[in-house]
Amino acid sequence: MNRVRAWCLAPTAGVLATLFLIPLAILLGYALLTRGAYGGAFPPWTFENWQRLADPLYLGILGRSVAVALVSTAICLVLGFPLALFIARAGRRKHLYLYLVILPFWTSFLVRTYAWMFLLRDTGLINEALLALGLIEEPLPLLYNYGAVILGLVYGYLPFMVLPLYATLERLDPALLEAAADLGARPWQTLRRVVAPLSMPGIRAGSLLVFIPCLGAYLTPDLLGGGKTILVGTLIQNQFTNARDWPFGAALSLGVMAVVMALLMGLIRRQDEGVL
Amino acid sequence: MKRRTFFLGIAGAAGCTPRGPRLNVFNWSNYIASDTIARFEAETGARVRYAVYESNEEMLARVISGNSGWDVVFPTNYFIEPMRAMGLLARLNLDLLPNRLDLFDEFQAPEWDPRLEWSMPYMWGCSGILYHERVAPAPRRWADMWDDRFRGRLTMLDDPAEVLGAALLKLGLSLNETSEAGLRRAQAEAIRQKPLVRAYLNAEVRDQMVAGDILACQLWATTAQQAMDEAPELRFAFPEEGFPLYADCAVVLKESDRAELAHRFIDYLMRPEVGAAIVRESRTATCNLAALRVLGEVLPPTLHLDQPVLARGQWFAAMPSVAQRLRDRLWTEIKSA
Repeated sequence: MNRVRAWCLAPTAGVLATLFLIPLAILLGYALLTRGAYGGAFPPWTFENWQRLADPLYLGILGRSVAVALVSTAICLVLGFPLALFIARAGRRKHLYLYLVILPFWTSFLVRTYAWMFLLRDTGLINEALLALGLIEEPLPLLYNYGAVILGLVYGYLPFMVLPLYATLERLDPALLEAAADLGARPWQTLRRVVAPLSMPGIRAGSLLVFIPCLGAYLTPDLLGGGKTILVGTLIQNQFTNARDWPFGAALSLGVMAVVMALLMGLIRRQDEGVL
Repeated sequence: MKRRTFFLGIAGAAGCTPRGPRLNVFNWSNYIASDTIARFEAETGARVRYAVYESNEEMLARVISGNSGWDVVFPTNYFIEPMRAMGLLARLNLDLLPNRLDLFDEFQAPEWDPRLEWSMPYMWGCSGILYHERVAPAPRRWADMWDDRFRGRLTMLDDPAEVLGAALLKLGLSLNETSEAGLRRAQAEAIRQKPLVRAYLNAEVRDQMVAGDILACQLWATTAQQAMDEAPELRFAFPEEGFPLYADCAVVLKESDRAELAHRFIDYLMRPEVGAAIVRESRTATCNLAALRVLGEVLPPTLHLDQPVLARGQWFAAMPSVAQRLRDRLWTEIKSA
């Protein structure tokens, strides 16, 4: 029995080792080496790349990225919770609604981001419509700012919030809601003191699933932000291209990974302790 | 499919068919005509593996190991000396490259490789200002890109060498400035300009110029020409303070064990009629004078090397490591400002 289990796990372990652990080890090696003038990483070994992470310039960029990711996650939660609740109580139609939530995944994220650019441009659909209706005289600057970046992130990662929320809300026993109502709780109180605490695992999972990719996002800030701001994803990409500083790029990626891991550990520990 | 037939298929696909030698060519996108490779294969019996890249860094990252499997690549002029210093380039045998004599005079002895020992100039380009004709007065200098009338309707390239370059030229400094004081001044200019800049965009700006979202942008001449082909109301200016020039050159990698075939391919690209077909199809600016003669049509100034204009241009040069690092930091600061 144990041998069967080992054989079944071997492919997964192999994939994880080759595609995850080995690249991670290479990255760690790079982060401790010195940059070559035209890319690459060479001896001598150094901690300099790690010291540079503490530079206020880079800490500022990391802070800005965390803020953008937090705002995006919060908006996803505010939008996703009612939607998940609605789907969970939609009865026979809920499969249709779930299907609609994942429908955007059928096309590439890049193409969908370009679609947003066409909507938000000065001569895009939204501005042209508002101009035609006479509601505005000049096109609104919708594209190339933080608002556009956050919009793109919320749009892209909302399904990752909705699905885990749906999974917890769907299992919520309706009898508990009836009990709350019988005991005199108003709907808002029921939501705050019964539904929200019970759906905390879904909120936590959804928030992590949204926050982590938002923090490292590269495509959306680049395309919808128009390069006017720099977030950590773009900063890392720059190190491997224009800046030709692979060791610092590696240190930056590991730094971001450490932030995410710390967050994850913190949340898992709280879950283990049963603290909601 | 039975497993055995499947494996036979794999073996076939892996190239057991008895055909000529294989040449591996790694080039920028949109740099050949659709039949360029097929004709070379038909003529020589060789097979060509052709792939494209989007940046010098991407190309170098692949060939830096010295056993990448590529034979011919096309670094930009300022990458040639570093690649030579890293021992990646094979010395060219000029006897195998008779068509080099068809290059423009400017490319017979370029400053980055005066005796063409390592590289053959292939395509050149520059960056300048693309603007809408309704902009009056028309921008003629980089300094005009700091004009408040363009607020929100202006883009610059998303490239530190280009943005700092425009600021340096505006200040009357060298495009290839390495001193911290000079670069800091250029950075201050770029930060002062940032509130006017709608976005830092590369080729993506083309559609927005055509649509009229953006009135003026810093752009490469060949990309600008694509926009002008679509929208005749667009104009291109070669800024008076000077402008950056670059040339993508063919080199043979030292690791190549098909150097003779590689030379043959490069010389083939320099044939007048082959070069003309490439220019006709891809609308790029060739370094080959004979190709332009064969083409027989008057090309717009964006694609045609014009003496008096060219004299104002400055070639990008390789950056010393310290200056490169400083520029990256200044760029990150501009973006964070």
